[in-house]
Amino acid sequence: MERRVVITAASAITPIGHTREEIVAGLENGVSGVKKLREDVELAEFIHSQVFGTVDYDIDFDFKRKYRKTMGPVAYYACQVAKEVIEKTGLKSEFITSGRLGVAFGSIHGSPTVQRGIYRCFSSGSSREFAAIGAVDYLKSMVHTTAVNITKMFGITGRVISSSTACTTSSQSIGFGYETVKYGLQDAMLCGGADEYDTATVAVFDNLLACSTDFNDTPHLTPRPFDVRRDGLVVGEGAGAVMLEEYEFARKRGADILAEVIGFACNNNGGDMILPNARGVSAAIRIGIDNAGISPDEVDFICAHATATKMGDVVEAQAIDRIYGDNPYVSGLKSYMGHTMAACGAIEMVLTLYMMQDGFIAPTLNLDEIDKRCAMVRHVTGLLEKNIRIATIQNFAFGGVNTTLFIKKFE
Amino acid sequence: MTRQEIQDKILKIFSEEFEIENPDLDDDLRDVHEFDSIDAIELLGEIEKLLDSQLTQDEKKQAMGIRTINQICDYVESMASVHLNPA
Repeated sequence: MERRVVITAASAITPIGHTREEIVAGLENGVSGVKKLREDVELAEFIHSQVFGTVDYDIDFDFKRKYRKTMGPVAYYACQVAKEVIEKTGLKSEFITSGRLGVAFGSIHGSPTVQRGIYRCFSSGSSREFAAIGAVDYLKSMVHTTAVNITKMFGITGRVISSSTACTTSSQSIGFGYETVKYGLQDAMLCGGADEYDTATVAVFDNLLACSTDFNDTPHLTPRPFDVRRDGLVVGEGAGAVMLEEYEFARKRGADILAEVIGFACNNNGGDMILPNARGVSAAIRIGIDNAGISPDEVDFICAHATATKMGDVVEAQAIDRIYGDNPYVSGLKSYMGHTMAACGAIEMVLTLYMMQDGFIAPTLNLDEIDKRCAMVRHVTGLLEKNIRIATIQNFAFGGVNTTLFIKKFE
Repeated sequence: MTRQEIQDKILKIFSEEFEIENPDLDDDLRDVHEFDSIDAIELLGEIEKLLDSQLTQDEKKQAMGIRTINQICDYVESMASVHLNPA
């Protein structure tokens, strides 16, 4: 039995804003959320990339201590967007706690801020410091900390999925949540991902020569997906969440339906852990199109992974060209906020929903001169009025994981 | 430390660290104030700070059956006699 799956609420915390209005204004006005990297006594002087997609505004986290005590910064983000999504759906607590609602939520590695504190204790050589490792430090830093802090806060008793596949973490959350509802295992799934401010992640990508370093004095000019002057990704922070519900359930309760999820694909390149692979990405697109039951020419908009690495953007453009040609519009939304890691798929889904609802496509920021090797697809270089009927969100991760999600305007 | 000093300090810890204000001294902390096993471990850390001394694993295990503020004060009194006034 295959059931239709719809999105009934969405929320995001991003470097360009938190509310829907702020985020849409950021997209329409070409606002960059990339800022100077904060000082970090342990790492910063060694990091070549000095930019970060930063959430630098206050968020009014109104959580009781019994919930706060097991949260690191990443779980604060996750629980905040989860709370907003649940409030927007108007789902009753009887349903939320019934076992019919599950959670699919992840981060790339729990809370690195808390983990650093643990490692400091370990390496101190002091038994007093060792004893200072908190009772809740593991609960704050474990990989599924976002998912289970959400279940705790809302008394959710359904299944828990906590993918942690780097940049495909939250696209997997949404995809696996979609399949869970589609095949009748749950009637609704709260899906998303989050990651907190973390210079260690910057250091890792920096050492892999994957980070942007040429724009340290002009952070807003990077990242530059598909542009000839792109020089790598910019790490960012944030969170995104959507509520997926079985269509009949949502319809009967009079839910506000934002869009329908019509397809998902996940595959692996089956080889290199880092280098992108056009064959693997093309296959992920093809599988997703087949899963959605559409033809490539029905897709209006591609929200590209587009991290602004030298090779990644070329490979993605090649794969898009191979499957879609130059018909669908293509934008890389990381150009506004950097690569929010585990959150990126969910944030890009939320932003795509906003654009689908408001009838526009935001251009790829900083795309001043398109790299010839990426020029075969239909880039959006200026704000575009466009009724998006079908959109796809593409994400690719270290380890060779590829995902594609397909959503359709609800009419 | 006198019993009253211990009680005052424990109540201060409950207020500042656990956001539990003026609990009855014989309240079952789990039932009435949702004080759970995580909180109990955190409380032991606070008691170590209070005593300026590390509790042994066995001493910590002795605390696991404690349910009330009065029992916590009994425990701290007992630990203080060992850690603050060693024979």
